[in-house]
Amino acid sequence: MDLRLIRKIKGYIMLFLSTLAALIGVVLLFAILYKVIMSGLDGLNLNLFIKDEAPAFLQASGGLRHAFIGQLLITVIASLIGIPIGILGGIYLSEYAHNTKTGRFLSSLADVSISIPTIIIGTFIYSILVRPLGHFNGWAGAAALAVILIPIVMRTTEESLKLIPWQLREAALALGTPMYKVIKDIVIKSALTGIFTGVSLAVARIAGETAPLLFTSFSNNTLSFNMNEPVASLTVSIFTYASSAFENWISLAWAAALVITVFILITNIILKQIMKKRSY
Amino acid sequence: MSENIVEKEIEVKDMSFFYGEKEALKNVTLNVEKNKITSLIGPSGCGKTTLLRCFNRMHDLYKGNRYTGEIIFKNQNILDKNIDITKLRTDIGMVFQKPTPFPMSIFDNVAYGLRLKGIKNKTELHNRVEHVLKKSALWNEVADRLSSSAMGLSGGQQQRLCLARTLAPEPDVVLFDEPTSALDPISTKKIEELMQELRGSITMLIVTHNMQQAARISDRTAFMYMGELVEEDATDIMFTYPKKQMTEEYITGKFG
Repeated sequence: MDLRLIRKIKGYIMLFLSTLAALIGVVLLFAILYKVIMSGLDGLNLNLFIKDEAPAFLQASGGLRHAFIGQLLITVIASLIGIPIGILGGIYLSEYAHNTKTGRFLSSLADVSISIPTIIIGTFIYSILVRPLGHFNGWAGAAALAVILIPIVMRTTEESLKLIPWQLREAALALGTPMYKVIKDIVIKSALTGIFTGVSLAVARIAGETAPLLFTSFSNNTLSFNMNEPVASLTVSIFTYASSAFENWISLAWAAALVITVFILITNIILKQIMKKRSY
Repeated sequence: MSENIVEKEIEVKDMSFFYGEKEALKNVTLNVEKNKITSLIGPSGCGKTTLLRCFNRMHDLYKGNRYTGEIIFKNQNILDKNIDITKLRTDIGMVFQKPTPFPMSIFDNVAYGLRLKGIKNKTELHNRVEHVLKKSALWNEVADRLSSSAMGLSGGQQQRLCLARTLAPEPDVVLFDEPTSALDPISTKKIEELMQELRGSITMLIVTHNMQQAARISDRTAFMYMGELVEEDATDIMFTYPKKQMTEEYITGKFG
């Protein structure tokens, strides 16, 4: 009886502590969301999307069109470079290097590269694509984001492909199917949702990066489609505007923060829905 | 029934197989008779599935596997490094333990091997798919939904679909690796009936844990133990008067 009582009390303590910990995590998240939404709504208006930067001292209502477009440009180019390389690399790891030392080595190397601080990737790209050219440029920004993207896509592709039972590959091979056709018709097709989800999460991840862009594409206060020049991005603009002394810039930074948060939130919710449909 | 001329489809000659250093099959010699059903029986780990997977060189998929000796099929040693494995696999098909439908429509599943063979004509594809689905006793169940996903079929239907897919390119030999162990009794019966209908036109090799099944369906039975082929004979002889004591002990359930 006594022992039972002690255990009951211990059970309640455990329940209380873990609930508290969960609450702290969730409350902090909601606090961030609340602050971003409240402060962001002030600066949110049509100008944000259709006007470029206005000189801060004029107190004119400028916008961040240049940053939205620059961000889109850099992210799309980084994805065009990084996604095919990442997917093909993942196919190599899962299908060709399956259960080999090389495969395991490359796979853990990819894991290590995922955890490299992104600012280090930024400085690395700076040394090979910015310094030799003498100026910041959009290509360097896209390259830095691609370097971050590749190992993530590679590993998620590998993991999605590995979920497909080996027997399915054997069944296709047993019909006399060449390996490349087994991968193309059977394995990729079965793992498509998983690969798609991994790719989308990885793209959302690089769309939110700031540090690697500071040393590469830097920023630009006018609208520019020229990738050989510095290109503006939302994240770097948020960094610059938020640390400035001008009221209207700070409010723009909040609005931009709101837009990027909502964008990532929506992509995540959509992807979760896709995953749910798949797991049925 | 007694036949004077026994035609051999496959000849296994003093064949050994190694998983890395481990010798999984030891000097196996076996003649597989043409258009008959041969069962491979024996306790778990005796090498029966390993032997079955030698016939379509499935072991080549994994590194460190090695064969010695010969398997003669169509006057060729199929263990030869230079043979065309994809061609071999269109001649020797395989049905697996678990149903393995491809992520595509029922029609495309069956047509897969036909398209691999280079058949593109739509009418011909359709005729051959229909023919083989009828042969696999699946046509009536799927005729109205050929374009829907094969994943929506029941386990037993999926296994018959896999059999149809294997039969479509008209192989000479079909290997069955415990084809009914994941199925209910009714689906099992259907697969067994199909095998009976195919007897006489296709050579079949079946690995089974179920001795009643071996006794029911096969013409010949081979008993394996610890990587060796202990005894092979006509099924009725094997199950009534086996020559080796070990065979008798296994068949009567004294070990296994």
